[in-house]
Amino acid sequence: MATHAPAPAHAPGGGHGGHEHHEDPRPVSYWWIRAFYGTVGAVLFSFLLLFLLRSIFGFEPLYDGAVYGGVAGLLGGIGFLWGMGCFDFWLHWSKGGDISKEDHSFHGVSNWKQYFRLNTDHKVIGIQYLAMTLFFMVCGGIMALLIRTELAAPGMQFADGETYNGFLSMHATLMIFVFAVPVFGGIANYVLPIMLGAKDMAFPRLNALSFWFLPVAGFLFLASVFTGMFSSAWTAYPPLASQGTMGQTLFELGVQFAGASSIATAINFLATIVTMRAPGMTIWRMPILAWATGVTSVLAVFATPFIAGSQFLTMFDRIMGTNFFVPDQGGDIIMYQHIFWFYSHPAVYIMLLPGFGIISEVIATFARKPLFGYRAMAFSMVAIAVLGFGVWAHHMFVSGMAAWLRVPMMVTTIIIAVPTGVKMWSWLATLWKGKLHLKTPMLWALGFLFTFLIGGLSGVFNGIVPADIQVSDTYFVTAHLHYVLYGGTVYTVFAGLYYWFPKMTGKMYNERLGQWHFWLTFVGTQITFFPMHWQGLQGMPRRVADYDPRFATVNAIETVGSYMLGIATIIFFYNMVVSWKSGPKAPWNPWRGKTLEWMVSSPPPLFNFDAVPQVVGGPYQYGIPDARHAVVFAPEEFGGELKEDTRYPVVVVANQTLTSQTLIDEIRARNADGLWSFELVVPVEDGDRVIAQRRLATTLAILAEYGVSATGRVADGDVVEVAAQAATAAEAHEVIVATLPLSESAWMRSDSVDKIRKATAAPISHVLVPANDARAIAGASALPLVMVVATDAIGAEALATLVRARADAEPARFTVVAPLDLPDPRWGTEATELRRQAGEGMTATVNALVNTGVAVEGQVMDDAPSVALPLAVGAYKPSRIIIAGVNGEARALAEAAEAAAGDVPVETVNIGAAAGA
Amino acid sequence: MPKQKGHMNAALLAMILFIGSELMLFASLFTAYFFIRYGVANETWPPLKQDGEPFKLPVLLTLVNTLILVASSFVLWWGEKRLAVGDNKGLIRGLWVTILMGGTFLIVQLNEYAHLGFTPQDRAFSGAFYTLTGFHGAHVLVGLILLSLCLKRAYRNDFSHSYNTPLTAASYYWHFVDIVWVLLFFLVYVI
Repeated sequence: MATHAPAPAHAPGGGHGGHEHHEDPRPVSYWWIRAFYGTVGAVLFSFLLLFLLRSIFGFEPLYDGAVYGGVAGLLGGIGFLWGMGCFDFWLHWSKGGDISKEDHSFHGVSNWKQYFRLNTDHKVIGIQYLAMTLFFMVCGGIMALLIRTELAAPGMQFADGETYNGFLSMHATLMIFVFAVPVFGGIANYVLPIMLGAKDMAFPRLNALSFWFLPVAGFLFLASVFTGMFSSAWTAYPPLASQGTMGQTLFELGVQFAGASSIATAINFLATIVTMRAPGMTIWRMPILAWATGVTSVLAVFATPFIAGSQFLTMFDRIMGTNFFVPDQGGDIIMYQHIFWFYSHPAVYIMLLPGFGIISEVIATFARKPLFGYRAMAFSMVAIAVLGFGVWAHHMFVSGMAAWLRVPMMVTTIIIAVPTGVKMWSWLATLWKGKLHLKTPMLWALGFLFTFLIGGLSGVFNGIVPADIQVSDTYFVTAHLHYVLYGGTVYTVFAGLYYWFPKMTGKMYNERLGQWHFWLTFVGTQITFFPMHWQGLQGMPRRVADYDPRFATVNAIETVGSYMLGIATIIFFYNMVVSWKSGPKAPWNPWRGKTLEWMVSSPPPLFNFDAVPQVVGGPYQYGIPDARHAVVFAPEEFGGELKEDTRYPVVVVANQTLTSQTLIDEIRARNADGLWSFELVVPVEDGDRVIAQRRLATTLAILAEYGVSATGRVADGDVVEVAAQAATAAEAHEVIVATLPLSESAWMRSDSVDKIRKATAAPISHVLVPANDARAIAGASALPLVMVVATDAIGAEALATLVRARADAEPARFTVVAPLDLPDPRWGTEATELRRQAGEGMTATVNALVNTGVAVEGQVMDDAPSVALPLAVGAYKPSRIIIAGVNGEARALAEAAEAAAGDVPVETVNIGAAAGA
Repeated sequence: MPKQKGHMNAALLAMILFIGSELMLFASLFTAYFFIRYGVANETWPPLKQDGEPFKLPVLLTLVNTLILVASSFVLWWGEKRLAVGDNKGLIRGLWVTILMGGTFLIVQLNEYAHLGFTPQDRAFSGAFYTLTGFHGAHVLVGLILLSLCLKRAYRNDFSHSYNTPLTAASYYWHFVDIVWVLLFFLVYVI
């Protein structure tokens, strides 16, 4: 069962400021039907309007695809937004309708379907953003795989040149306009208001509108598949863009919608950062992600209008017949490139700076150190943003632009490496001598440092005029931009997704799958993109469907690398979906982070904070005793103020497998998180309660030896009932059930694990223990070793009883040693027979003990006690020796033992009477 | 809007940022205009139309129109001053006059389009001219809508000395539209 914000503890009636939470009653289908009618109606209306206008004014031809498509795309998009309810509030307000500040009927979700309708909750919008942008990432990724498949071998494989151009244009457009730029809007939407201690963004309704612009933009791009794909790449330079199909018009419209989304979100972020910070949250106490989002938003607000302008001009040329880009009519093609890059270079920083912010959070948290150079980090981002407006023409060194512009742009380009270097060194200095936790988010962060460094260095190459002239429009540029965007955007997005996944969903992701995802992507990235540097220097041009046969091998290798990236993405989505649905419950603060979002529940309550938090210090004071970022009061049921060292209960249900290495390793692995306390529950139906007690005592002793905080009890009753009761009583965050394989487990045969799953609300993990592992007592080395010396008593029930009694008195492991004193020759018939008998007896004793939960092994020795015992003591180093003698032999054994023992205590027990010889 | 003590008014901040964004949109269009202008600088200015005649813009009429628009900003400012002293009637009067002056500006501008003697499909200069003035006209229209909404609320006595954020935001926008036009007039009509 997936949980959704609001958390149940804060569900309606929880009392937020005294008003109840009412959800809008209209179902999701209502909005989609309305959106359908809105879209279709607006498209038909635009056709009719154009037809009438063109017939009245006598335009020729009456039907012009570009004009009709353009206007229908624009109005259809607006109709869709109206249908989804984006404008309802403002229309209502402008008609003088009744509005209430306390109307939160579009806030929060109570089931997953409601993610598909308009919502004003920043947490829901954040997830909508992420899901939508990741969907477009997959679409763009499929295009990338098609490109790589076409390039797998020289010559044409399955696409013609025009189709190939369509693939690469669609790939870049989707990846840039509806993935890389807005995806950070998703992460920041979710995290930023909580980080600042705010209840929501400054303008929740505008926030919803910004999100719904995105599907319009993305589907306008995708719709061009059906109208003839645009094929002038994402840069859409005229005259190529002036000539393309109807898809080109839809592209231009899509960019306008994406740009509007970007500007609206950016204004919202800035207003939130400036006006919504919690008391005490000065700008120098803001997490770096807030700085990054703020700086990015300034870029988005002031740069995005330029791409809007450039696309308006190309669109007017296409549908109105203006002559902006027709040189013999006074038009100027270079002008397009200037306007376009004046946005699109800052856009690179729009795609990178939020990632820098995420990496700063992740590295500080997982290195357990204060972020090095906090202020330098903030200032360097401001510097990057300011300089970012002054480097645009380095994309145009070979375009034929004014030659004097080259050198100034080269200089600013190289200068921009300085603040970037400040950040790189600050991250490294944060890692330096830190206590690194290599969890998945940290792996992505380290992968980012490596990959982005290569991209940054090749960026300096590209910024130098003569080098750039050499590599312009070759695969060197392709390699550079993919290193920058893979490192700076994809890796940082994944770092952020894994980092905040527990916060967003309330569930933990699967760490192993996360690491698989990382390593496959990391290796795939290097295989796919590193050889492109060489290819580019050798002169292979980019954006061409065919190539010289001498590049065949390297292209084939790159194609293999790209498929690895595809497989990694499948693993990622599997992990996200399955973990959200049935992953273990996440605690409030799985990473021991310091920033405010870790001081609310996972997922956070409807309005984030029940009381306004008070910020009292910087956000990254890891390892500083008593340092605090903020004071947050949790609701009563969570025990008042949240402490960072709170542990959350995990219930472990096991009986036969309780002492196994597999289970103990599992518990130790979880314990390494530092978040959990364990309650071991041993259900006993009609077996031996004493055996269960003994196993429990052994396991608890072993766990205590490893420093695991655990309690335990034996409970009578059916395993399902016992487990369910224990989980409910402890409010368990997870229930671990350990069983033998199906063939040997009564629990498995009666489907107990599934029944427990149904009977409890907590997530269940099933640990399967191999039979031989369950018999060998685990972690035995952690327990004190007691050496039991016996000869005649071997095989007797009395010996087993003695050892059991000792095991119950104090958890220990035992070695039963039998020094046989065999007659010569030791290979003779008599000796062999004695050895065999002793061996059978030893097996019987050990089995009897192991089956009743005692950690024991046996050893039959050929020599007399005086020879054998010193050897045994030297080999086993026991902490205590027990002589289990039968009548007369006890004394002789004890003497030999004391001689061998040194300062190890020796105890002699005569079990003669009980053994009965 | 949830407003916290000591912080800026979020709505006005948002309007200022939005205006900044709009200014950059006009900056991009002015960039286009100057590239086109630079491209013909070696010939003559104003450039020649497709029929060989030079482009001619009605500078004097537009000057009058400019004065109307600039004056409307001052009228709006006067209306806000009236509200500050509690005179809601004065505000309503100010808004009415501003809207009428803005409407006059638009009508004069449309009339100018009808009598210019060239279309956007003429040489690149005409495209730039129509794009710049057309975008500005659209912004005047948006400004008029905003002011009309404020007028409606003024009739309901919604605004007071202490609460006037929507009105202030709309008037920021109107002043921006005004300033852009003054720039446009100088850069396109005069020089």
